[in-house]
Amino acid sequence: MVVPRGWPWGGVPLLMTAGSANTASLNIVACVKWAELRPEIDPLHGSVGDQPRGSGLSSSDLAAIESALVIAEAWSQSGTESSVTVLCAGPEAADAALQDLLAVGVERVVRLELKEQRSSAQVAECLAAVLTPEHLDAQLVICGDVSADRGSGSVPAFLAHQLGAVQALGLIGLEPTGSGRLTATRRLDGGRRERLLVTAPAVISVEGSVADLRRASLAATLAAKSKKIEVRVLRTDSPVEVHRLRPWRPRPRVLAPPLGDDALSRILALTGAQASSTSSRTLVLDPEQAAEAVLEQLAAWGYLSDAPPT
Amino acid sequence: MSNSDVPDVDVPDFDVVVVGAGPAGSAAALELARAGRSVCLLERGPYPGSKNMYGGVIYGRVLDSLIPNWWEEAPIQRWVTRRSTMLMTGNQALTVDYRSNTWGEAPYNGATAFRPDFDAWLAAKAEAAGAVLICSTTATGLLRDGQRVVGVRTDRPDGDLTARVVICCDGVNSFLAKEAGLYPPSDPANYTLGVKETIALPREVIDERFAVRGNHGVDIEILGCTGKVPGGGFLYTNAESLAVGLVLSLPELAKCGRRPEEILAELKSHPAIAPLIEGGEVKEYSAHMIPEAGYKMMPELIGDGILVAGDAAAMCLAAGIWLEGVNFAIGSGAAAGQAAARAVQRRDTSTAGLGDYRRRLEANFVMTDHRKLKDAPHLVMSDLAQQQLPRIACGVMEQLFTVTNPEPKPGLRKIIRSQMKLNNLKLRDAISQGVKALRTYG
Amino acid sequence: MSTDAYPEISFESRMSSVEFRVSEQAHITVDGKKCADCSTRGCITACPANLFVPTADGGILFNYELCFECGTCYMVCNEEGAITWSYPEGGHGVVFHSS
Repeated sequence: MVVPRGWPWGGVPLLMTAGSANTASLNIVACVKWAELRPEIDPLHGSVGDQPRGSGLSSSDLAAIESALVIAEAWSQSGTESSVTVLCAGPEAADAALQDLLAVGVERVVRLELKEQRSSAQVAECLAAVLTPEHLDAQLVICGDVSADRGSGSVPAFLAHQLGAVQALGLIGLEPTGSGRLTATRRLDGGRRERLLVTAPAVISVEGSVADLRRASLAATLAAKSKKIEVRVLRTDSPVEVHRLRPWRPRPRVLAPPLGDDALSRILALTGAQASSTSSRTLVLDPEQAAEAVLEQLAAWGYLSDAPPT
Repeated sequence: MSNSDVPDVDVPDFDVVVVGAGPAGSAAALELARAGRSVCLLERGPYPGSKNMYGGVIYGRVLDSLIPNWWEEAPIQRWVTRRSTMLMTGNQALTVDYRSNTWGEAPYNGATAFRPDFDAWLAAKAEAAGAVLICSTTATGLLRDGQRVVGVRTDRPDGDLTARVVICCDGVNSFLAKEAGLYPPSDPANYTLGVKETIALPREVIDERFAVRGNHGVDIEILGCTGKVPGGGFLYTNAESLAVGLVLSLPELAKCGRRPEEILAELKSHPAIAPLIEGGEVKEYSAHMIPEAGYKMMPELIGDGILVAGDAAAMCLAAGIWLEGVNFAIGSGAAAGQAAARAVQRRDTSTAGLGDYRRRLEANFVMTDHRKLKDAPHLVMSDLAQQQLPRIACGVMEQLFTVTNPEPKPGLRKIIRSQMKLNNLKLRDAISQGVKALRTYG
Repeated sequence: MSTDAYPEISFESRMSSVEFRVSEQAHITVDGKKCADCSTRGCITACPANLFVPTADGGILFNYELCFECGTCYMVCNEEGAITWSYPEGGHGVVFHSS
């Protein structure tokens, strides 16, 4: 995969271990986010308050964890030992609830503390840094489709890019087939469905309707009380640094003073009112080429870099 | 269940299982953990307090011995420094308003709080002392060996939990105490329904409207606001919200043909209440049942291997001028915890071995107050208190302070007599009820 | 009520202020046959969540989803065993935040 020049996060793909589907064990990681589920919005100034007990894992995140457990069981049965790790972005307040996950069959819970608000791409980069072979060594990553707090569902896509893995997002059903393989169902327009055959290494995201998280047995719940969850704090100095956060918008263009004898012609020259506008183009290209063309055009308009367009 | 199903009770999972992490359960678990017993605190909600709702004030004196200087850390909303009692009719209100600023200083008297905050705090205290808190787990039944209770069954997979003693703090519906046969068949007349709106308002607006400052607050108890249904109302201040609600007698509510929120809407639009809550936004609506009849509806508190405390044992005190519950829950829970700890230590958790629980309750305020005020709930719910008293009181005030020039002022005796006549109250009834009230409260 | 007073909120908005983590299993069951014989039907007026609705054919339609778990319904029910009521599955049901 090509990393386009000038992408703001300047990421380098961290490739998942290819062909690990054949190795002795498979690590499945459910990436979830501790989010405000019932935000309190001040009707006057629109500020979002946090209720002390209003946060939790969304239904799609819980579905991701349950899917991970189901897949791990199926893969283990078909001969490849598989285990589930939950990687949760969230504050310390999440620990008690995360500890309960250790009772449902999750092997390991890692809580990731992201110190600043970050873009989806940066979040994905932070997650990817933990998912690499040196750390969690994830062969399959399962996310909830959209995070509950105004998410757009783009983190899994960025993550797949970062990890150089295949992706199947927004799934409404999945079924493990053989070791390291699964069949996923995705919604298309017009009530149609698309069935995808996914082979690890892969990043998938699921809707909340896919599964409900199982209930832990009483004995496991009691045992989980003494287990510890791991915590990793990612500060600005590693691995990415956020300089500033703002919406993307074109940089101002520097224009030469308009030429013309009278005011009207100068205004026309300045506004380009009677000149032909940017012509639309229709291109028929391969997906890769199309992506390149779109990026090229965006860059030409000044969207993708801080420098003024040439 | 048959004996063969019962797991080995010689080595139970815990010394004691406490069902319900409300104030009673947490107090019991705290005492047990401090006494060095292994204790499991079960909570069916996702966190302690998530199922709990009340009508306003926590009186914390009972906490002094459990948690020294509790007021420095308890998550409270405001300290009550104004306590009002309001008698109202459709468009009149007579208020007795008492203010004491000493209630706003340590060691304080009463506080308003959100139960999810307060109950979770108290449960965390028990946890810190060594109790094992398990949330999101409903106790569905008792495990028994013959008549003896040897644990609880929960709705989790593989969910049996054995113990030497089970303490039921599972609230007003207490299915466990009923299953243990400690309750006679329930009479709906012993219960009331509480409904409440939490209404968000800015702190400054509350301070202005209720004439309080800082973390000082108000608690208003209201009589005569429930139409034909016996009951009462309340309005109290949180830090940045108000709570306004009603308590309604169950059988009469079922008969009256009006829904609880309609009666509440009427209270909210009363001229004495509307200006206080105006412009607020409903933040949360809640409802809960109350064991109103107190002493007279209490179950057997002790069985073989089982104790009952808090609302499950009808420890709520609804005595008109005193409306308390959380303190009685904590008081009874703590006593149950101490008694169970002693019984476990002495290896006798039979009904007799647990008899210490009752002795402890009798020795402190819990049973003493309840026994003394055993007639109060009935008195408060009587027609005289509910219908005639508010009307007569307001009518007397109306006549007393309406200047009737050029007619001369009527005498007070004449006013009272005419109001009693207007409201069909005979002097004999008034005196007999008055004597009863004096005997109850005196 | 004066006209400039704030209007009372609708029952739907009232209930939307409460969090319910709805379980898949109903914790209330109603025996419709017994309800058909019932003349008082206290549950319809008394249930604070308005979960019981009379139907045209003389029965009672009930919901369990937005239940406060107060117990009023079975307490006011005067037909023996018409309403069976237990607590919902652990972790589910009503969740109060500022009660």
